[in-house]
Amino acid sequence: MILEIKNLSKTYSNGVKALNDINLSIGKGMFGLLGPNGAGKSSLMRTIATLQNADAGTITFDGIDVQQKPQALREVLGYLPQEFGVYPRISAEMLLDHLAALKGIDNKKERKELVEAMLQRVNLFKVRSKYLSTYSGGMKQRFGIAQALIGNPKLIIVDEPTAGLDPAERNRFYNLLSELGENTVVILSTHIVEDVSTLCSDMAVICLGEVMEHGHPLEVVKKMEGKAWRKTVSRNEVEQYRNEFRVIASHLRAGKILLHIYAETDPGNGFERISPNLEDAYFSTISSKVDLVTI
Amino acid sequence: MFKQFYLFELKYRLRRPATWFYALVIFAIAFLLISTGSTPATEKVHHNSAIILAEAMIILSIFGSLISSAIMGVPVYRDVEHKSQYFLFAYPVNEKQYLLGRYFGSLTILLIVPIAGMLGLWLGTLLGPAFDWAEANRYGENVLGNYFIPFLVFSVVNYVFTGTLFFALVAITRKAMSAYVGSILFLIAYLISGVFMQDLDTREIAAFFDPFGLNVISLETRYFTPFEINASPLPLTKNLLFNRLFWLGLSVIFLVLTVYKFSFKSFFVINQKKAKKAEQNIPPDLSVLSRILKKNYSFSNRFNTTIQLAKIEFLSVIRDRYFLSMILGGGIFLFIDGWFGNQVYGVPDLPATFNMIMVKDFNYTIFVWVILLFYTGEVVHRNRSLNFAGIFDALPVPNWMNYISKFLGIALVAFLLCALVIVSGVSVQLLKGFTDIDFAMYFTDLFLIEFPEYLQIVMLAFFVHVLVNSKFTGHFVGIGIWILMWGIRSFGEVDYNLFFYGYMPGYILSDMNGFGHFFQPIFWFNIYWLAVGALLLCIGYLFWIRGVEEGFKKRVSQAKAQLKPIIAGGMIALLLVSIGAGGYIYYNISVLNKYVSSKTSEKIAANYEKAFKKYEKKLQPKYTAVKLYTDIFPEERKIISQFITRVQNKHKVAIDTLYFNLPKKGMRIIWNAKQLKPSFVGDDVSSPNEAHFTKMPLPEPLQPGKFASLIIYDTTQVNGFGNRDINPRLTYNGTFMDLIPPSFGYEVNNELESDNDRKKQGLPPKDYDLPVYTDEVGRSTFVFNKSAELVSFEAVVSTSAEQIAIAPGYLQKQWKKGERAYFHYKVDEPIDLFYSVVSAKYAIAKDKVTLPDGRIIPIEIYYHPQHKYNLSRFIKGTQDALVYNSKNFSPYQFNQIRVLEFPRYLGFAQSFPNTVPYSESFAWLGDFSNPNDYDYAYYVTAHEMGHQWWGHQLVPNMTRGSNLLSESLAEYSAIMVAEHTYGKDNLRKFLKEDLDRYLRGRAMEAKKENVFIDCNRPYQWYQKGSLILYALRDYIGEDTLNAALKKFITEWGNKSVAPYAGSHDLYAYIEAATPKDLKYFVEETWKKITLYDNKVITATAKKLADNKFEVVLKLNSRKFYADSAGAEVEGKYYNDQIDIGIFGEDKVDAKGHKTTHPLYFKKHVVNKSGEIVITAQVNELPKKAGIDPYNKLIDRVSDDNLQPVVMD
Repeated sequence: MILEIKNLSKTYSNGVKALNDINLSIGKGMFGLLGPNGAGKSSLMRTIATLQNADAGTITFDGIDVQQKPQALREVLGYLPQEFGVYPRISAEMLLDHLAALKGIDNKKERKELVEAMLQRVNLFKVRSKYLSTYSGGMKQRFGIAQALIGNPKLIIVDEPTAGLDPAERNRFYNLLSELGENTVVILSTHIVEDVSTLCSDMAVICLGEVMEHGHPLEVVKKMEGKAWRKTVSRNEVEQYRNEFRVIASHLRAGKILLHIYAETDPGNGFERISPNLEDAYFSTISSKVDLVTI
Repeated sequence: MFKQFYLFELKYRLRRPATWFYALVIFAIAFLLISTGSTPATEKVHHNSAIILAEAMIILSIFGSLISSAIMGVPVYRDVEHKSQYFLFAYPVNEKQYLLGRYFGSLTILLIVPIAGMLGLWLGTLLGPAFDWAEANRYGENVLGNYFIPFLVFSVVNYVFTGTLFFALVAITRKAMSAYVGSILFLIAYLISGVFMQDLDTREIAAFFDPFGLNVISLETRYFTPFEINASPLPLTKNLLFNRLFWLGLSVIFLVLTVYKFSFKSFFVINQKKAKKAEQNIPPDLSVLSRILKKNYSFSNRFNTTIQLAKIEFLSVIRDRYFLSMILGGGIFLFIDGWFGNQVYGVPDLPATFNMIMVKDFNYTIFVWVILLFYTGEVVHRNRSLNFAGIFDALPVPNWMNYISKFLGIALVAFLLCALVIVSGVSVQLLKGFTDIDFAMYFTDLFLIEFPEYLQIVMLAFFVHVLVNSKFTGHFVGIGIWILMWGIRSFGEVDYNLFFYGYMPGYILSDMNGFGHFFQPIFWFNIYWLAVGALLLCIGYLFWIRGVEEGFKKRVSQAKAQLKPIIAGGMIALLLVSIGAGGYIYYNISVLNKYVSSKTSEKIAANYEKAFKKYEKKLQPKYTAVKLYTDIFPEERKIISQFITRVQNKHKVAIDTLYFNLPKKGMRIIWNAKQLKPSFVGDDVSSPNEAHFTKMPLPEPLQPGKFASLIIYDTTQVNGFGNRDINPRLTYNGTFMDLIPPSFGYEVNNELESDNDRKKQGLPPKDYDLPVYTDEVGRSTFVFNKSAELVSFEAVVSTSAEQIAIAPGYLQKQWKKGERAYFHYKVDEPIDLFYSVVSAKYAIAKDKVTLPDGRIIPIEIYYHPQHKYNLSRFIKGTQDALVYNSKNFSPYQFNQIRVLEFPRYLGFAQSFPNTVPYSESFAWLGDFSNPNDYDYAYYVTAHEMGHQWWGHQLVPNMTRGSNLLSESLAEYSAIMVAEHTYGKDNLRKFLKEDLDRYLRGRAMEAKKENVFIDCNRPYQWYQKGSLILYALRDYIGEDTLNAALKKFITEWGNKSVAPYAGSHDLYAYIEAATPKDLKYFVEETWKKITLYDNKVITATAKKLADNKFEVVLKLNSRKFYADSAGAEVEGKYYNDQIDIGIFGEDKVDAKGHKTTHPLYFKKHVVNKSGEIVITAQVNELPKKAGIDPYNKLIDRVSDDNLQPVVMD
């Protein structure tokens, strides 16, 4: 079971090049997709989820040519879009049951069990008969997760699924996801780099529609080994450092600024070497493409 | 702060394209309205007179209320929609200033719209005549005040009112939708208030509560003649100003209320509903999650799922609270319309099934349109507008399932709308205790005719929404298409139904004839449009968007990809069906029949006049005997006739050529046993009624005084169907045909009447139809048929076995041969050549009446078996009228009288020799349960009976004004008969309605108003005639007037030698019978257009000793003479005698009729215009008092003649 993306390109009618010759091969397990806003993550995920066609390139999953046979893919797909709405005057239980039926589960009794179990897993069982319009943002997000995971999908695509979830719910969700991820391909996009490093066995960084980095998170970090440095500077010095060095991150520390920079060799000037994490690797990757201003 | 919000709103709005779009739309409509001469102005009225401009601005502002809701609904809601509410909430902003800033800013923008409208009107008056889109003489001088005063009084107030209303609705309910729905409901409520305008008693109230002021201005100016409208600035009357101030005041109240109620907290913070008690739950078994479940994508599963999806769509619509409020509103109006129904003289009809079905086309139809158009948009865009499409479109649901389910969902809504008509109709029937319910008619009409039509509306809307892919634009385009089609049909004067989506010939339901011949065209048109609609749906399917929206080019290539063989095959099949059905329709309309647009028919009439007017004076023979052999085949809609006639040359010179108006070409015509050959046929130039003007030289000239035999063969058949109903007189059950031999000579009646139309066709204006009363030819010609004077008549009529055929005369013989029934009728006295032949399945009610001369006259009422409700009224009306007229005028000339019902397709009654056909739509189903209602069944029967004298004994000649001899005198005799039976008070509503109709008739006059003696319009010979004869009777007495009429009919009636009577002949008798002091009245009513303005200024009373009261009346009388254009000069008083009355409490007589109770009633002599003071003593408590309280005189404002008495 493998998702193969080859030479995938997509340009929107307004001229924005959303995907630029993307090549990825994604196997079972959790795959993290990192990238800044507007990098093309959602475009990529929507294209895989059959919601739009690419201009060029192919996607195959488990022998299915996704663009030629979208219907076949949809039968094994679980998709959670970044933003979504629901039917307001209908209960969570009814809508989930309806969606499960649309996913082809036609045995009523089985479907009912399934819906209840899934709602229990996303911690909505107790409020299952309430109208969705009364749900809070987090509850709605959990409902979205439930609908994506229901019906034994083989390919799960979740676009920023933890937005709006509190830390406990986030953990719950990741547990659920990694449980499922053992037998399925899960593609997860997020802004939270830490989530990728803890959860994913494979990842990619994309920026401006291109794949910048692809591999196991540890391998990606390894490439940065010995090239990340830091120094605490005062606020008015930042600009000067920015010009002299390749700054990949800056954090506030007790009124001063802690700069992380990328350098092949010791930059001197009071910088100390640090052991890099995925965040450093991520920022260093995209800083070659976009201008980073984190403060 | 206010200024900030205000200016922000202005700047923001001025940059929005929508603002300018709205202004442009109103500008364009205003411009087209006036430049094409499509204002409500009648032919002599200037399009840019103050009153017409005001009406145009009001109409624009009524439709502008939709714009009002769009502009004023959003300014506050915008912050919710764009989620900027939280900023505002946090800023140190004064909420009142915020609200008022937004309000006034938007209002300022809103007022751009009517300003654009005003500019459009102004530009229209310049360009319309310049480009010859409308006649230059229809525009007066542009007066600034004619624009600005109506603008301020109507446009501004209306936009402020609707704007404030919608602003308040959104600010208080927090829902943008409430403004849209509010505006639609408001518009509907407004249209319905128009219903109350129809009743004289309620129309003042209806006018006052009209938020737009259209009803108030039409009420205030309803009797204005064209001259007055052109000359008058906007009449700022008391009623009008009250109305305007009321609605302006209401706007202020709304605004104050909104400012008071509005707060950020309540507006922006989402209500937290109390959480329901958490359910006690046993945690479910989770093991199912780790099992692999079976998935089923079989066709049967998908089919079931499609139904399931359709159900969800349907439920989403019907659970929507705006839908609920609309369907509730629609249902209420359906019920109300059904309950009150069609009223004639304020009398409702019984709730027969066809009446209950017809009300669907009243107010309900607006609801249907709004619901279908609006919710089709909702259904199509639901997933996308809920932002649910991202989830839904990734599901393994094929497009067709989704697409079909959506269509089914909204189709089910359409079905529900049809079913509601039945539910409402049957409830009305049962609640009124009417049990003759025709379910077959309900189901056929609503499910086989109406439902397909609703589906067609849905199909087009569905297609548009899919293709346009935006809810707002979709609604705009969807509604725009219908408006465009309507516009082309009404202004382009093209109505070929095959080219106008969803259009088909109209139909009328009839108890007598069921769906009759209408079913066939409706059936084929429905097949045709359903196929076209389904084709549109297929195209829509190809363009259905799944997932991310793309540019149009991409959509086209996607559509191509979607075009799979099965769909292509289906589309070809639908195309074939629509071509087949369309072809069949075309064959019927344009091959079997001839399509004539209204434009073409004008041209035909003009060509007829241009080509043949020169033959007008050609002397022609006259028929003297007619024997008609006719075979009616109702099931084939076919009649074969043979006219065996004798003609005579009544002129002093020989006649060598016949000029015929033949119904069709190639008719066989035998003259003295020789077939006549046409020397030319008006091939290209047929007359508007399809008669072909034909010249036929005679074998030898017909010498003066000599007779000839003339035999004419004619076959009339309706083949297939036309673009409109072709022949409503020739039906399966209820034939009603004028089977009169073709007329000789040029027909003046075929000429174009309207001077506007005449000018367009290059014809000179036409002042009169008939010649002046001294005209010799006119005096020796009958007005109803110029080709004959009195003739002997005989008819042998056959029809299908189950029908009865009736022609004038007495039944001589009746027999059956095979499947045919034969009837032989003959008159024993000559009649005028004016009759019809009727055939239908009838039940017969028989009665008789004994006349003063001792003769017993049998009465027969031939009626549709279900219509048995009011037979006694027809019989009583017949009896009383025959007796009254025989006693007072002359003996009844026949030995029998018959009343016959014919289908509702034509709505009148007509009187022929001893035979009175009477439309199904009139009185047969009237509900006369209220004794105070006007018994028009009785009255109209009496009127038609009157025509046996006035029209048939006394046949008017063909000179100007002679129509009054038949119509006004028939009205007079019917009024007298009704007064003797029902009393004076029962007639008051009728007379008041007559006065109103006369005054409105002259206000709508397109040419010029003739004096009564030269009357040429129905409003003159019916309404004015009955008013002035009734008043004359009051002045000179019934006996005196009847004696004069008796003398008149004795000397002028039943004449077989010219000259025949005209209006001046009658006038001589009436004048002679009138005493000297009243001659002024006859002169002023017959030879002048005289109008009074009598009114009460004050009426007070004080109590005297021994229960007496002294009443002091301050009255005012004025009199005017109007010229033919309506310009007035002060009238002269000739010691005019005017009623003054003081009344006590109304009483109820033994029959349950309400009667007035005069305490003092006297004619006073008035010798000058101005104030009159009268003091009188009465013996009871006075309630009301007035001058001319019964409205016997023609009074421009009749409502102020009677006022309550105020006690001192």
